[in-house]
Amino acid sequence: MIHLENVSKVYPNGTEALKNISLDIKQGEFVFIVGPSGAGKSTFLKLLIREEKATFGKIIVNGRDLMKIRKRKIPYLRRTMGIVFQDFRLIDKMNIYDNVAFAMRAIGTPEKAVKKRVKYVLKLVGLNGTEKRRPNEISGGEQQRVSLARALVNNPEILIADEPTGNIDPERSFEIMKMLVEINKRGTTVIIVTHEHDLVKKFGGRIIRIADGEITHDEFIHTKYQPDKLSDSPENTETDNSEEAENI
Amino acid sequence: MKLSSIGYLFKEGFKNIWNNRMMSLASVVVLVSCLIITGAAALISVNMSTLISKVGDDNQITVFLEKELSDLDSVRLGSEIGKIKNVESYRFNSRSDVLKEYRKSLGDDIYESMQGDGNPFGNEYKVRLKDLSKYNDTVTQIQKIEGIEKVSDRSDVAGKLTKLNYFVTIVGSWVVLILAVVTLFIISNTIKMTMYSRRFEISIMKSVGATNSFVRIPFIIEAMIIGLLSGLLASAALLGMYNPVRNAASGIIGMIADSTLTFDQIWLPALTVMSVIGIMIGLIGSIISISRYLNKEGGSIIGK
Ligand SMILES: Nc1ncnc2c1ncn2[C@@H]1O[C@H](COP(=O)(O)OP(=O)(O)OP(=O)(O)O)[C@@H](O)[C@H]1O
Ligand SMILES: [Mg+2]
Repeated sequence: MIHLENVSKVYPNGTEALKNISLDIKQGEFVFIVGPSGAGKSTFLKLLIREEKATFGKIIVNGRDLMKIRKRKIPYLRRTMGIVFQDFRLIDKMNIYDNVAFAMRAIGTPEKAVKKRVKYVLKLVGLNGTEKRRPNEISGGEQQRVSLARALVNNPEILIADEPTGNIDPERSFEIMKMLVEINKRGTTVIIVTHEHDLVKKFGGRIIRIADGEITHDEFIHTKYQPDKLSDSPENTETDNSEEAENI
Repeated sequence: MKLSSIGYLFKEGFKNIWNNRMMSLASVVVLVSCLIITGAAALISVNMSTLISKVGDDNQITVFLEKELSDLDSVRLGSEIGKIKNVESYRFNSRSDVLKEYRKSLGDDIYESMQGDGNPFGNEYKVRLKDLSKYNDTVTQIQKIEGIEKVSDRSDVAGKLTKLNYFVTIVGSWVVLILAVVTLFIISNTIKMTMYSRRFEISIMKSVGATNSFVRIPFIIEAMIIGLLSGLLASAALLGMYNPVRNAASGIIGMIADSTLTFDQIWLPALTVMSVIGIMIGLIGSIISISRYLNKEGGSIIGK
């Protein structure tokens, strides 16, 4: 699904953001990308959505060779991915419904299909009933869920989230994470960049640590996490850090 | 492009105009002014050409022969005139025919007394030219023929009009060229501003996989609507002024009334041409400004 081979990214100003990265992410995986500020996490995501082009190496995403992909084809690559931004990126003058519908209209989906799908996705993230409200009339957590709904509305194969919980309080973060796990269970590959170690520990999954443009750890953390029991206090979840490194 | 998208894209185009209404209004005003000036220049030029060809049509130079010239010599002289290249036709007008033309103004008594040897006029030739612009050369050639008293200046009007038309065409072309640049600049700036105000939406559209043409089309539609609207307004203004101006001009120069184009003849072509030009300016102006924006990616669109 995602295959990187000796990938390096050097920005025009000379910054070497990623150095010789190789990794594979299979369909249906739940992946955390962690690491200090400036490590190259966002750069990694940008390479995946082809917002930036790698300087060296080989990148395959959803069967497309991103080093050779033609410019005209990039939009179609992006339609297979949903992106959640840290700053939500909602359009203030549109209501919740239109914010989500916008992602479908932008790729030419007929209005009838938009209506049906948006309704479904808003329900999925627990926002039915707020359709008419504007982004500034809802809480940060709700805004992030709108952002998530928008990322999901085109039924992506991969969901990419850069600091999806960065701007919201821990409890809300927890809810968002629950949803991401739920979405992952339905078969969508989920890649999350985060600073929040608590969340990583609680939810577990594959953790890829990047530092200074290089992958320093790539491991699985198992938890006894049960999605159904999440509604009670987060502290209940036990973590179990087995250092089952899966080096590449 | 799916058919279902077209409605959406048009709606977005109209929304752009409304959201950016001050700038849209400003560009409509500038475009209308430019189109009115351009259109006026074009209408004047077209009418001048019509006028000139009409004037040219009944334009004939009168060649006055010396009074002493006998009728026989006069006929021989006629064939000399006919040999000149630019002469289309020539018609003999005998001195008694000339006198007849003055019969009314002279009164019957005087007319009678001037018959025969009392006739003050000489024989004449009415000559038509093929190409009016070679008027001077032709007249010089005619004057060289022995036995000619003088050549009339009846075609002066046509000559002056030709020069004026030439002037209008040259100056008009420059004005139109400059105005075209101005309008293109204005409209591309308007589109640039709309795109700037919608840069956030553009970045989201691109991140969800909107194709460049899908992002582009609402802005092109926006510009083309502004262009069309300006074309319609400008032609309405021009056509509204057309008859009053034409009537006023006819009051000064009588022949304008029946030697220029009527409202019925011009309204449809004027409306069509102005609308098409407006749309084209919109199209070109928007294409100039859009492509630069679309080459940006992700955060750089919104300046992050
Ligand atoms: N467009 C750019 N041009 C030049 N350098 C850049 C650009 N974007 C990022 N960088 C540099 O590349 C390096 C990696 O940046 P990146 O944004 O990927 O880090 P990050 O891991 O996402 O950090 P954070 O956790 O703070 O978001 C940094 O040194 C950054 O300054
Ligand atoms: Mg980052």
